[in-house]
Amino acid sequence: MTRILIRHEAILGILFAVALFVMAAQSDRFLTTANLLNQARLMTEVGLIAIPMTFVIVTGGIDLSVGSILGLCAILVGVFWQNAGLPLPAAIGLSLLAGTAAGFANGLIITRFRVPPLIATLATLALYRGLAEGISQARSVRGYPEWFAVLGRGEFLGIPTQLWLFALVALAGIFLLRFTAFGRTTYAIGNSEAAAEFSGLPVERTKLLIYTASGFVSALAAIVFVSRVSTTRSDMGNGIELEVITAVVLGGTSIFGGRGMVIGTLIGLCLMQILQNGLSLSGVRGDGTTVVIGAVLIVAVLISNILGRFSND
Amino acid sequence: MKKLMTALLGASLLSTPVAAQSAWTGGDDQPTSPLACSGESPAPEPGEYNGGAPENAPDRKGKDITVVDIPKLVGVGYFASTASGMQEAAKELGNITINTDGPTRANIDEQITFVDNYITSGVDGILFAANDPVAIAPVLKKALAAGINVVGYDADAQADARQWFVNQALPNGVAKSMMDQLASEIGEEGSFAIVTSTFTTPNQARWISEMQAYTEKCHPKLKFLETVEAQEDNILSFNQAQTLINKYGDELKGILGMTSVATPAAAEAVQQNGLCGKVSVVGLALPNAMKPYINGDCIKSTILWNTVDLGYAAAEVMRQVVDGTLKPGDTTVKAGRLGELQIVNQSQVLLGAPKVFTKDDINDFDF
Repeated sequence: MTRILIRHEAILGILFAVALFVMAAQSDRFLTTANLLNQARLMTEVGLIAIPMTFVIVTGGIDLSVGSILGLCAILVGVFWQNAGLPLPAAIGLSLLAGTAAGFANGLIITRFRVPPLIATLATLALYRGLAEGISQARSVRGYPEWFAVLGRGEFLGIPTQLWLFALVALAGIFLLRFTAFGRTTYAIGNSEAAAEFSGLPVERTKLLIYTASGFVSALAAIVFVSRVSTTRSDMGNGIELEVITAVVLGGTSIFGGRGMVIGTLIGLCLMQILQNGLSLSGVRGDGTTVVIGAVLIVAVLISNILGRFSND
Repeated sequence: MKKLMTALLGASLLSTPVAAQSAWTGGDDQPTSPLACSGESPAPEPGEYNGGAPENAPDRKGKDITVVDIPKLVGVGYFASTASGMQEAAKELGNITINTDGPTRANIDEQITFVDNYITSGVDGILFAANDPVAIAPVLKKALAAGINVVGYDADAQADARQWFVNQALPNGVAKSMMDQLASEIGEEGSFAIVTSTFTTPNQARWISEMQAYTEKCHPKLKFLETVEAQEDNILSFNQAQTLINKYGDELKGILGMTSVATPAAAEAVQQNGLCGKVSVVGLALPNAMKPYINGDCIKSTILWNTVDLGYAAAEVMRQVVDGTLKPGDTTVKAGRLGELQIVNQSQVLLGAPKVFTKDDINDFDF
């Protein structure tokens, strides 16, 4: 029982409940179904990417290029559709393919050429963003058909459409990391890559798959984003990688690898979103909100570290 | 290669007598509407109102209202000065509270989130300067649907996503200010060259076409040399200005800077070549960037709109929209100390002619 209580995810859950309670007391417009669903809609892009990012960080790696892949794929949807004249579904398909390829390229650089993930994805962060800007020529593509807006602005059974997609990706993430050999390999790599290798685990293939998935989901987030804002620009997703990494780390995934859960990431994500929204609703300005989120991140990690000394988890 | 072509084109323009009639490089082919050379131009018809309308807005006439101002980003001089103009108007009006809040980076997604949160928190009005006209439209329409009054300034959204937009300057107004200032500095028969971002950048291309139309009408003897591209890059702008100085020597009397990067870079080139007073730089630039050159008597002026007035006008327009004293079909609107402002382009309020900042007043502005 005590072991469960002092898990990082449990502490985070308590923090989340406290935040929810405090925010609700501050503003009567906060704890309404409409507001909460709307907030869920707004956090979907970050949330989607945070799922594969959890895997990436559990292996002890990092993927800084996700925001640039998002920007590149967003631009490609527009270019394939408007400039190349393809039907929109085909443009979306090709864009997803491009995102997957971008992630695969990351994986190849990291596994085959043994470049540390931080450096490899820092390089592709610049590379993919540069491609996006070059392809778009600083022009945005607009005027998407009505049906496309359903994904980003519509509802299905009273729930924002993209939330269903997010739920699907999140469930897949939970299942894969928790209940499959693939997930156990992921943890093993994070704990000790050399040990995993000598145990005959498919280290390279697993890492390659994870970075490829990260690219694919970033492309998926790009489609949702384009649909939500009904335009494409090359600066889309700029800096989103930091929000994603913050959510994952706040969720208890160790930046050194080997520890972390998708559930934790989800709670971290929700905590960030309700802090932003709740503080804004109770009249705190944008810059103040950023300070609070930074402080919460430090406090959460500190508590978890201090309590961690008393457990053998 | 492109540069060579431009140079050749410029040279051929010089040598042929039809030069005055052919289009200036870097302009677009849209129709132009040059203003009168002196005095007031007749006000163009604003046309039919094409803005949106809030749904089931409560009657806020004369009541205290809370308005949020969401600029492209906060923490920069430009939007700090528009915000100070808003506070000035709020103080004069007495029945409007304005809070400025927004993203710390010019980011479409963060700006949308800010607007969204303020809709939920229930403000009476939203003032915005859009990072992207299309991306912000859905959330602004949501605000209108929630009965919130929406007015834009500085950077517009799609017309039906807001009620009114306070436009800081029309292309023909910018063109008139630039060319009048240039003619007053280099004389009616001087030669000049233009440093722009790229030949296809929409705003700059529009301004160049309007400048040509106005010059042919009002300063026909001014001699256009060539237009060079410098992206919006500091070093490239400096190099291009340097090239112009070397290429044309004494013939070059003026450089027109079309971007806020090109103008100070051209001023720096003029200063480093010891040509202060011999080559004039006229252009659009933030006063702070031009202060060293203007206070040092190397450059005489910089042209921009008065950003404090822009914020002031936006707040005044918001109050009148809420009170119902500015409504579709009006041709002018009273804006406090700014007097009557014209309605243009169906649903825009025109701030007026751009402001020419000189040594006399540039130090009163901090942006």
